[in-house]
Amino acid sequence: MDDEDQQHRQAEGDEPLSLEQRRAARLTAICFVVAILAGVALFVVYFTGGQTQLEGILFALALGGLGIGIVIWGEQLLAAHEVEEDRHEFTVGEESRLALVESFEEETGPLLRHGARRSFLVRLLGGAAGALGLALLLPALSLGPSPGRGLAHTSWRKGRRVVGEDGKPIVFDSLPEDGFLTVFPEGADVNRADSQALLIRVPNGLLELSEEQLAGVPGGTHVAYSKICSHAGCPVGLYRAATRSLICPCHQSQFDVLRGCKPYFGPAARPLPQLPLGVDRDGNLVALGDFSGPVGPAFWHRVKRGRSS
Amino acid sequence: MSMVRRSVQYLDERLGTASFARKTLRKVFPDHWSFLLGEIALFALVVLVFTGVFLTFFYTPDARPTIYQGPYEPMQGKEVSAAYESVLRLSFQVRSGLLMRQVHHWAALVFVAAVVVHLCRIFFTGAFRRPREVNWLVGVALLLLAMGEGFTGYSLPDDLLSGIGLRIFYSVVLAIPLVGSWAAYLLFGGEFPAPDIISRLFVFHVMLLPALLLGLVGLHLVILVLQKHTQFPGRGRTERNVVGKRLWPQQTFKSVGLLFVTTAMLAALGGLAQINPIWQYGPYVPFNVTSPAQPDWYIGWLDGALRLAGPWSFDVFGFPVSEMFWPAILFPGIAFGTLTLWPWIERRFNRDQAEHHLLDRPRDAPLRSAVGMAGLWVFFVMFLEGGNDILAVMLNVSVENITRILQAAFVVGPFVVGAATYAICRSLRKSQIHPARATAGVELRRTASGGYETVPLEPTSSE
Repeated sequence: MDDEDQQHRQAEGDEPLSLEQRRAARLTAICFVVAILAGVALFVVYFTGGQTQLEGILFALALGGLGIGIVIWGEQLLAAHEVEEDRHEFTVGEESRLALVESFEEETGPLLRHGARRSFLVRLLGGAAGALGLALLLPALSLGPSPGRGLAHTSWRKGRRVVGEDGKPIVFDSLPEDGFLTVFPEGADVNRADSQALLIRVPNGLLELSEEQLAGVPGGTHVAYSKICSHAGCPVGLYRAATRSLICPCHQSQFDVLRGCKPYFGPAARPLPQLPLGVDRDGNLVALGDFSGPVGPAFWHRVKRGRSS
Repeated sequence: MSMVRRSVQYLDERLGTASFARKTLRKVFPDHWSFLLGEIALFALVVLVFTGVFLTFFYTPDARPTIYQGPYEPMQGKEVSAAYESVLRLSFQVRSGLLMRQVHHWAALVFVAAVVVHLCRIFFTGAFRRPREVNWLVGVALLLLAMGEGFTGYSLPDDLLSGIGLRIFYSVVLAIPLVGSWAAYLLFGGEFPAPDIISRLFVFHVMLLPALLLGLVGLHLVILVLQKHTQFPGRGRTERNVVGKRLWPQQTFKSVGLLFVTTAMLAALGGLAQINPIWQYGPYVPFNVTSPAQPDWYIGWLDGALRLAGPWSFDVFGFPVSEMFWPAILFPGIAFGTLTLWPWIERRFNRDQAEHHLLDRPRDAPLRSAVGMAGLWVFFVMFLEGGNDILAVMLNVSVENITRILQAAFVVGPFVVGAATYAICRSLRKSQIHPARATAGVELRRTASGGYETVPLEPTSSE
């Protein structure tokens, strides 16, 4: 340590601290001590097994003590008068700019002489860059399969048995009135989202469906619709027996079960497609074909089609 | 002292940075509480980076199914994805893992909130005007990236709630005219739920988006330093100077203090306030759903937009245009397009080409303030509608009526709010109350004849 520093220190030490400065120093010291204690306590808590809430509090105390201490310590600096600084121009000015443009044009000049040849070459360069750009896009096509007809079809086929989440076939008449169940095609992966359907048993004689639709409702009571909302694709998980409506919990679209699951409130625009059902010789529910239309939200290539099998 | 001198000498002889460092340390920053909002966003980002790195050491970006065998009993023996399992392990078996996860999630919410409030400050004070248009663009890009980071991160645990959010996002992509189904298949790797999406989201969340985000934050700050900070008008403040405190030591003490206090708040939140308890939601199963289901707050407006819109779907040459196109693609496009282009839109109206370093108060630009408030109102209504099912239960009003009321508020509200803001700004401007100037007031004088007279005082500053 050289002499100058020594003197400087003494000079500083000689200045008596004001009452406020002493208070600030004391507060700062308390804050830093809190931070130290919290840090030490954090060690203890961690090595004795950890506890999320305590860790949070101790972290907050350690960081907060440090932060508030620093702010109070710096407070005496903040009392310093405001200073003024010139907001000098940060642009180089018109002249320098012109010089830049000029030198740029001068350097590139030889390339750009002869108007006709220039524009021809520049166009070719653009073409080459464009072709390369398109070629570079090609690997991106490997990111996924082509949509094809995948969105239009599900795993339901004619004669496929209807099973519950546990994979067991559903026997006709096994549901109570106003009971409902999520069902899948037998043997299909339940995590393939597009096949999920809701089987609902409604009281006899209430359904107001066309002949064609009723042909897929065994007993006039066991009706099934796609469980995928036609709006944004959420599972339409809520059944309100009082109004016989299905409600999507995501955006509150509501569908009229008795009238072909036409939407009557909310953002959905299309009915939930119906799954035509029948009963096989053993009394189990089976599908008579795929859904009456593509399931889920609208998409551009969605093609209208009749009931396919 | 001599150590400082030695290190300065060492660095200057090798890097020649002493004059630059001196200029930087002496740099003057104007002082106003609202200038700290952006700093809070920056500090939340610091916390996000640190906690996020910790989380990556434990997270498995893998959708493959596995049987849960950890200590959380209700989930034992159930089939969950490896991603979900790794987040449960992080939460229950890694010491201070849950704290780090919760601090990370809270920091994300605070980060986007601070960005939005900072954006409002910039907007309502006209800080985007020439020469700061470029930094405005960088800022809007940062907001979008922040929301993208939030949504991808929220989806990573592969829990039921985030899976539903992902399903909705897939449907939104599907609703893009012409290329929707292609875009959705390429992005998700096939028909939803394709297993690739989890690992792709991970790459977006920890590499692509953070690289862009941090790069743009750097650019944001470099431009800020180059152009110098704006300041509010007041005594001695002109378009040609900067009045405030120096970077060292005043601003540094303040900012470092704020960094630690922000972090402390986030640590307290992460330790004490439970957030995203994915073990309660369960793993994502395509045919399960929770109710009520709300996303994180900064996506709430978009979910609300989807609930607010009507069943407006129609065919163009036999191709269906989804009802989701309006609320989820067209509206956000217009809203964020307007936000992005605002500096140029405003210039079309007021033909103001001048450079501005002195800030407006909101009342100084009634039209801008009116547009801004109308825009905030629209987003606020959508945000409320995003919780229409919760509001319905709380207020004992049917969901249908909540939606109808908010639909009306969405259409009529912006005009009412805009007009009211305009009127308030005009009258405030007329009243001449100026927070930056000392209150002028009146002086009471005794006249020679023994009576009294009042003399209006001059404002204490000239602009």
